[in-house]
Amino acid sequence: MSTVSESRDVMASHAGWAGVLSVLQRFAVIGVWGTIIALYSALEPGTFDTSGTFQTIFGSQAALVFLALAFLCTVLVGEFVDLSVASILGLCATLLAVLNVTDHVSLPLSCLIAVGAGAAAGALNGLLVVCLSINTIVVTLGMSTLLSGLALAISNLTPISGMSASFGRIALTRLAGLPISFFYGIALALVFAYILGATPLGRHIRFIGANREVSRLAGVSVNRIRFGAFLCAGVLCGVGGVIVAAGLGGFDPSTSTTYLLPTVSAVFLGSAAISPGRFNPLGTIVAVYFLATGIVGLEELGLAGWISDVFYGAALILTVTLTTLLGRRPKAAPLRRGAKASDPLRHFDEAEAGLGATGGAETGERG
Amino acid sequence: MHEISKTFGASRALNGVCLEVARGEVHALVGQNGCGKSTLVKILCGYHRPDRGGSVLLDGEPVVLPITPAAMRRHGVSVVHQDLGLIPSFTVTENIRLGRFRARRLSRAIDWRSEEELAKASLALLGASIDPSAEVDSLSAFARAEVAIARALQGRPKGGGLVMLDEASGTLPQEPRLHFHLLIRGIALDGGAVLLVSHQLQEVLQHADRVTVMREGEVAAAGLRTSELCEQDLLALIAPGASRPSTSGGGRPRRRHHQTPNAPAEGGADLGAGPSVTVDRLISDTLRGISFTIEPGALVGVTGRPGSGFEELPHLLAGAKRAQAGTLTLEGVTYELKRGPLRALRRASVALVPQARAAEGLALSESVLENLTLPLLSSRGRALFTGARWRRRLAESVIEALHVHPADPNAPVKTLSGGNQQKVLVGKWLSAQPKLLLAHEISEGVDACAKADICAALQQAAASGCAVLLASIDAAELAGLCDRVLVLRDGLIGCELSGHLRPERILAALEGAQAEQVAA
Repeated sequence: MSTVSESRDVMASHAGWAGVLSVLQRFAVIGVWGTIIALYSALEPGTFDTSGTFQTIFGSQAALVFLALAFLCTVLVGEFVDLSVASILGLCATLLAVLNVTDHVSLPLSCLIAVGAGAAAGALNGLLVVCLSINTIVVTLGMSTLLSGLALAISNLTPISGMSASFGRIALTRLAGLPISFFYGIALALVFAYILGATPLGRHIRFIGANREVSRLAGVSVNRIRFGAFLCAGVLCGVGGVIVAAGLGGFDPSTSTTYLLPTVSAVFLGSAAISPGRFNPLGTIVAVYFLATGIVGLEELGLAGWISDVFYGAALILTVTLTTLLGRRPKAAPLRRGAKASDPLRHFDEAEAGLGATGGAETGERG
Repeated sequence: MHEISKTFGASRALNGVCLEVARGEVHALVGQNGCGKSTLVKILCGYHRPDRGGSVLLDGEPVVLPITPAAMRRHGVSVVHQDLGLIPSFTVTENIRLGRFRARRLSRAIDWRSEEELAKASLALLGASIDPSAEVDSLSAFARAEVAIARALQGRPKGGGLVMLDEASGTLPQEPRLHFHLLIRGIALDGGAVLLVSHQLQEVLQHADRVTVMREGEVAAAGLRTSELCEQDLLALIAPGASRPSTSGGGRPRRRHHQTPNAPAEGGADLGAGPSVTVDRLISDTLRGISFTIEPGALVGVTGRPGSGFEELPHLLAGAKRAQAGTLTLEGVTYELKRGPLRALRRASVALVPQARAAEGLALSESVLENLTLPLLSSRGRALFTGARWRRRLAESVIEALHVHPADPNAPVKTLSGGNQQKVLVGKWLSAQPKLLLAHEISEGVDACAKADICAALQQAAASGCAVLLASIDAAELAGLCDRVLVLRDGLIGCELSGHLRPERILAALEGAQAEQVAA
């Protein structure tokens, strides 16, 4: 019996450490964020620590928040990297501006058409990826280029501007010093987090991301949810496009693809915050503003426009490297999901994993 | 090889195994599933590194362990694996010659003409007429087996070498099998050695010179002359009697065997009223029209040789895989299995415990609690809130009932041992209180204690009125748990065993012998 109690003690102390560690991990990104703010404030007193800077950081990221949440929809169900989100947003924003400014279509109708176009693009992605099982990266990469080309075509390769200022109020109305579009993003992320965390649908989404076949055998309608994720991503991009166009009073279609990398960076960095190891909406929001803080600070330090590309690119590689390294740390049973069907030793490998692991249980029970 | 042991974690797959295969002989290796035959073969082909202390001698020379491909080639050691190990989209020539391609002298390009000749030559050894430029995809099952065997035969040094055949003849029909047996005899006469791993005792007795029987990682009998043996002797060595406490450990009361199949399980007078589960004319790729019924509270086993179709049965009946035809009737409702009615059957409380735990059974990165409650989320949770209390309670009750260790509902499943993962998998489906439970190799790769817990849980489920179908190749497990066992042969029900089940009866039925002979 003594061995059991000893091992329990060891486990308990492990659990204690694990608890501390997990809290540290949870808020590590926020901690680093705080450090960066402190650092910039010390480096540029009087410029960085002003309300103007904070308004820039929190007021300018609406497009990125919508894009990151749209990207999150498909990443959560295990679709690795939907590259088309930025172009869908660009197309929707361009469509709204062109319809309203050039073709004088009424605003509500143009908004509806723009969001509808986003939904259609998402549905087309879903159709190809889910129903015809074409590789996600191929489909969305093609879709991305195709849609940004279309956006350029309908705008005649020129930026469109001149939408009514009153319409701009849906994005720019100030609330507690920040434009209302900031609060749209927060509200959306909260709803998203609730669905994921508390509802059966959210669990199903998580399980589809973790193991599609297990979910299918448990009676989850896997393909319907995957399709829904693409559709939802399209709609979010559409709504995001409307808000961006409203805020800017128009749209420059050639800028849309520059949103893609920051989106991917934010989502991956977001998986290290709030609930580490999992893609999650609140972490994503934190990451969006974390990255924005880093860039605004560097720009105020006098570094030119190129810094944002360098920063976002480096952040993406660093975060993914870090999360991969951290993910390797626990002694997990070797998982060979990618094992080829023709690998003759595959069955054995699994048996070995089973056998190897069984020992622990046996000794535990005997003690 | 001498004193070979292999340990996986804390469980010993092989324990001091000695095996000697002489030149010029066909040596058979037999034993139940999980006894270590495959591990032994995998050590001999360099896939596993054995524990310290053992040694392997080839042609009298000790070799460095783990055995390298170069050493294997030098001594002419080759192996045909059970699942053949061919690359489906490549041609026959490419498959046979892979790893041995010769390049032209100047261009360094592969000389396909000579490669094709060499492939043809090795196929000719087998008397096989297969187009070397055909893709392996397009070949029949036995042609594929011939390709794999031909690959193992090439480059064997004259008058030496060792060819290991791990259940390689299983898929061959009568005619090529004859040729195959002539061929292995030819290798032996030529001075080579053949190690034949087989479940087919008839084949072993007729075509091997000596036989080694393995049991639970040890050699039960070494190098017996087959001329002095009969099938019953061999069966008795492989599975010595029903007295072996293989399924229920720890003095748990075993389910009595003399129940008639129609009698409800212990104390289940109210259960007899429930209608039976009926399967009618089920046809699939491997099954050729089988029908049977399972009464509520009955534990029915299905078994057969690999390829006989029994492995497919759980997935087909759960609607997870589409059948070609056939119906399943459950509580008066008939389901067309052709459509793969997985979701409808899930709603009707049909549960499937698949064999591939990591791929189909559990999401390893998620916690025990999440995995356990997944099947019940839709029915027990509300659309806007899953609820926390019922999930917690359910997880704790499963952990307690099945003795899951560590008893932490929030531990990710991948941190659990294999046996405990299997308990979670079984618990996940049992806690959904199924009316029909379909299980495939429910205790594969699981230690004795975990096995006992799992078996007890199954019996309890049956006692509470669940109809259980257990597909397994483990005769001892089937004998210990089931009321009836269906033995499938070539996609049909070969025979049905009931009454007093003993492992050797099931094994005998598997080998195709008349069940009655052994039953007496």
